[in-house]
Amino acid sequence: MTSRDSKRSRKPNNQRRPVVLLHPLPTRTPVHELWAGTKLLVVAGVGVLLALYPGWIPIALVAVLVLLTAWLARVPWGALPSAPRWLWIVLLTGAVISGLAGGGPFVELGSFRLGVGGLLSYLQLTLISATLIGLGALVSWTTNVSEIAPAVSKLGKPLKMFRVPVDDWSVALALALRAFPMLIDEFRVLFAARRIRPRAVATTWRERYRRWSVELVDLTATGMTVSLRRADEMGDAITARGGAGQISTLPSRPRSADVIALASVTALFTLALYVEIGTALGTSS
Amino acid sequence: MRPVELAHASVMAAVCSAIAVITVALPFAAPLSLLATVPMGLLAYRHRLRVLVAATVAGTIIAFLVINLGGLVVVVGTAYTGGLVGVVKRHGRGAPTALGAALVAGAVFGLFGVAALTALSRLRILVFETITVAADGVAAAIAAAPALAPTAQGVRDIVATMMRYWPVLVIAVSVVIITIVAMVAWLALSRVLTRLGGVPDVHKLDLITDRTDGRAVEPVPAKFRDACFRYPGADHDALGPVSLTVEPGEHLAVTGANGSGKTTLLLLLSGRAPTSGTVQRPGAVGLGEFGGTAVVMQHPESQVLGTRVIDDVIWGLPPGVTVDAESLLGEVGLAGFAERDTGGMSGGELQRLAVAAALAREPKLLIADEITSMVDQDGRKALIDVLAGLTAHHDTALVHITHYSDEAATADRTVNLTGSAENSQLVITAPSPTAASTPHRHVGDKMLEVSGVSHYYGSGTPWESTALRGIDLAVGEGDGVLIYGLNGSGKSTLAWIMAGLLTPTMGHCLLDGEPVSEQVGAVAISFQAARLQLMRGRVDLEIASAAGFDVQDRRRVEQALVSVGLDPTLMGRRIDQLSGGQMRRVVLAGLLARRPRTIILDEPLAGLDAASRRGLLALLADLRRDTGLTVIVISHDFSGLDELCPRAVHLNDGTLVPMPTTDNNR
Repeated sequence: MTSRDSKRSRKPNNQRRPVVLLHPLPTRTPVHELWAGTKLLVVAGVGVLLALYPGWIPIALVAVLVLLTAWLARVPWGALPSAPRWLWIVLLTGAVISGLAGGGPFVELGSFRLGVGGLLSYLQLTLISATLIGLGALVSWTTNVSEIAPAVSKLGKPLKMFRVPVDDWSVALALALRAFPMLIDEFRVLFAARRIRPRAVATTWRERYRRWSVELVDLTATGMTVSLRRADEMGDAITARGGAGQISTLPSRPRSADVIALASVTALFTLALYVEIGTALGTSS
Repeated sequence: MRPVELAHASVMAAVCSAIAVITVALPFAAPLSLLATVPMGLLAYRHRLRVLVAATVAGTIIAFLVINLGGLVVVVGTAYTGGLVGVVKRHGRGAPTALGAALVAGAVFGLFGVAALTALSRLRILVFETITVAADGVAAAIAAAPALAPTAQGVRDIVATMMRYWPVLVIAVSVVIITIVAMVAWLALSRVLTRLGGVPDVHKLDLITDRTDGRAVEPVPAKFRDACFRYPGADHDALGPVSLTVEPGEHLAVTGANGSGKTTLLLLLSGRAPTSGTVQRPGAVGLGEFGGTAVVMQHPESQVLGTRVIDDVIWGLPPGVTVDAESLLGEVGLAGFAERDTGGMSGGELQRLAVAAALAREPKLLIADEITSMVDQDGRKALIDVLAGLTAHHDTALVHITHYSDEAATADRTVNLTGSAENSQLVITAPSPTAASTPHRHVGDKMLEVSGVSHYYGSGTPWESTALRGIDLAVGEGDGVLIYGLNGSGKSTLAWIMAGLLTPTMGHCLLDGEPVSEQVGAVAISFQAARLQLMRGRVDLEIASAAGFDVQDRRRVEQALVSVGLDPTLMGRRIDQLSGGQMRRVVLAGLLARRPRTIILDEPLAGLDAASRRGLLALLADLRRDTGLTVIVISHDFSGLDELCPRAVHLNDGTLVPMPTTDNNR
């Protein structure tokens, strides 16, 4: 390890931390052990709560939930992908523009009176996005891909009464999750194959547009051919097993830990709603 | 949904969400997310609406899991517009209909938006407040210059008006955006469909529900009498006449070169009716049913349907049925793999898993169709051992279709489909090369130099994995090097680094003293999946595009084809009508026409039959000798490579092992 660390220090190129797709963190924590359905329910619930009552108190409570879960799931900083520089620039520009708008409430800085109302509503919206993104990221960091489709199938069961084909959906989801990494790999090869081909010389704007659109059609058509082929092969494999049926051996249902988790989150929601509706502290406009 | 519908829905959902992920994660690629309309459009063009809906649900959940709300919006939006365009296309209507439909769809979507924003009043007020604030801020900045004060007031007024009549604004924006997206989708889908020449369909198996007469499942003995099969529209029989009997419990090997009808025999065995002659069996075929027929096919990755090993064993079993998955896994040598992810498994392991899944149905007939052709040497051995013991432990007949001679040898009897001497030469597998030469010597001047290269995937994250460690390798002008190693040894990563497609985490790879990653294209590389490298629809267009010359220059296209031993009459052939071996040669023709000094070949022999292998190797050896081309082969296969690659280095677990070994030492 030490030799690797010393080598790391003379790393020749400054590599960014990539977005890691659909791989849970390689540790087991109480959050990892929760039923996938519980996590999906919590995400949906938070989405509804913040859409209906986007006030400061609900935002703060959800932020606490996110940070607490991240701590329980022992998410290291390294799990976060490197934020690209343009994101910071966009965020800062937004803050400056809203700041310029001024408006109440005011902050007294000596003799200088600063209106921060604009900045506050900008912050409010940004924080809502950030907490929702954080919550979604927590689900993908702590949930094994194979647990998702069975959980969706279980959660969707009541919809069957309305003749919604939930079983087809969950099978399609399970297979799509299986195909996803394979397709990402194939697209990588496809882009690499594009890179090593010579590019037509283009000097004028029109030529550049033509080249760009031809390249795009090349890539799309090839990508589609390969995907259709993969789909036909997968269809053969399904046929060879006599059609769809079971998709998982795991019993997909909530356990006692899930009840505790759901109860705590419900308590949090109730508190948020009580503050918003029942008290003078309500902040969602 | 039928199997083919399920498969298409899931693959297109995965494609759509993959595009969403790529475009949302990369800055300035957002317009490319419009391309995600193409898979959804194709789906709606070819299948029922419920297939599109299932794909949308699956794609939305995946995109949400990976990149949150941004992904969700992209998938829902592209499914809506792509689906619309696809449906219009399916009904054979033109662009005006698509435009009209898009305007209506935009208005409908806008109305939904208005309804949603009415219900979520607090969120709406917050969003509008933020927009007003931003406008005020811009106005304040403008007003800093007194001359522009009227403009500033104008900005404020416009935004205030828009906020007052927000429902109109929402609907208008929705109509404009959806119309633009739909028109781009229409254009993209039309061009892709033209390029593909319709939607290609290469599926082989069909669920044949021949149970109307109430026959029980009983696929063997299957008696073929002068059975022939001709594909619709073909001018000759793909198979036959064949007369043979598959007896219960026997191990039958079927051999023959590519194109001798081996796969067609699989179709007949799995229930397709012959076009002439007869196939008789006592009961129904029962594809995938208990005591019926099970099939394992060529491509390892496509066979396996579960994301966890144990889930794959039971995948598709009727609800409520339980099997002893652990013991089945033990039988195919995968004991202890149950909880593993199928994503990280080697080809050989995947195929053994597919055999276990087939056995879970206790089939009376198991058909293995060239299941080892995409598998490395060690994987092949393990797989053959599993097959060899099957008929002894199970009450099943095994039909093993293969083009390897040693695999056929383990069978009770062998049927050769062609019988002619020329085509029946099977691949004889070679032992690993012995330490013929030291791996660090090279001929000619030093040209490509890999020094101190290490590579980590997911560097700096908790998921970091090491692909390569401290690789030093020099390749000289005119050298022939074989880099061999097992699955996961890092050999493909090394190939990518040497072609300049990846910048190593540490160390460097130089071509003529300059980093090769700054001269992408100087080192030619042919990937294992040849199809991904063929981007045009026709052979001549493909070669001209890959080599960078005018397609009108027939002479050069012809030369390129001849240089790789292909008949120039193939020039006008569609890419999808080529065999695997021909595809590989067309890729080579395109690459070599640019006269590269070095070429990297990643698994050039995978999936080829004996004659194609020999031909390709002879061709490459000639090229190397005559033109001084430097050849680097990445492979797990050794047969016949010693002439092309006098030098062999062994890659094991990301490091170069100095002495090549004869056995697996993983």
